[in-house]
Amino acid sequence: MDELRRLEAKGLVRARARSRRRRTSIIRSRTIRGSLGLFAIFWAIIFIQLLMGNDPVLGHSSGGHNAGVTATKEARTSGTHPGPEAAMPANAPPEPESERQLEAELAAEREPEWEPEWGAEPAPEPVAPIITSTS
Amino acid sequence: MGSRTGARTGGPDHHLDVLTAAGPHLFWVTSRAAGTAAVVLSSASVGAGLLVRGRGQSRRVLGGDTRVLHEALALATLSAIAVHGAALLGDQFLHPSILDIAIPFTGAYRPLWTGIGIVGGWGLAVLGLSYYARQSIGQSRWRTLHRLTGLFWLLGVAHSIGAGSDASQPWLLVVVAIPTIPALVLLLGRFSELISEWLRGPGAAQSATSHPHRADVVLNGQEG
Repeated sequence: MDELRRLEAKGLVRARARSRRRRTSIIRSRTIRGSLGLFAIFWAIIFIQLLMGNDPVLGHSSGGHNAGVTATKEARTSGTHPGPEAAMPANAPPEPESERQLEAELAAEREPEWEPEWGAEPAPEPVAPIITSTS
Repeated sequence: MGSRTGARTGGPDHHLDVLTAAGPHLFWVTSRAAGTAAVVLSSASVGAGLLVRGRGQSRRVLGGDTRVLHEALALATLSAIAVHGAALLGDQFLHPSILDIAIPFTGAYRPLWTGIGIVGGWGLAVLGLSYYARQSIGQSRWRTLHRLTGLFWLLGVAHSIGAGSDASQPWLLVVVAIPTIPALVLLLGRFSELISEWLRGPGAAQSATSHPHRADVVLNGQEG
């Protein structure tokens, strides 16, 4: 009788161990599959963002995808965070610094018009070379 | 460094061109996806770890053994961190060296936030894998060390928000917040427990750390 109980108990322990192993393997496989699925979902989201041109780093849409990517490339290689401004399309308005430079250039071009006539020295007329005949 | 071909905005070859243009960024995309997965998995792992051996809490959560779930999530996190770093090595634009991704605060790209992430990654790796060497380390010493995992996890979360390229994206914030906030609440609850026990006196603190059901750790899954 004791022997029978011992065998029963042994069987019970084995069944429990088997069940635990099975449960463990199910949890592990589900975790692995879930992790891979999670990674795949994130990869797809980021990749689709990139393709749509809505990537926060690599570029915006409206035809400026490559400009944004190029800007980001420079920003990334220079070690600075590119941010959304790096993804500005090629046809975007120039930055204030460039505008100021442009205005300064335009002002420099306009200056000669405002100068009084008496203040300006007339440019010397080209003198025709004097040809002397030796004959 | 590869040159980028222009993607046309129309025509039948548009999609092919866009795919071609996206090609050089595949490593970068892979790294970002792995980093995001690492944050989510580590938060879930910390949450599961805090449920293991919690006072009065069931050992079985969601129909599975919490310890096994915690261990599997921790290993998945370490794999994701490894992919996150290794994929950067293939990026043609950042072009980091192994030292850049392994030694904190030396890289050119956002050195502070990247460095915080590297410290967090190494911490999680060392403390997580030390589980398999706990016999030689000593159970109580290992348990004490393992408590620091929470700190390194927080560094990882800070890295994802500070250096993450997608940190401004609502979808990322939601996805990260879902497992992170509960884990953070559990972590704060555990710390407040420990502090209150410590304030009650050294005897209470000693009994708390020696009791297997109360001396829980962030990633601990084993009885002492």
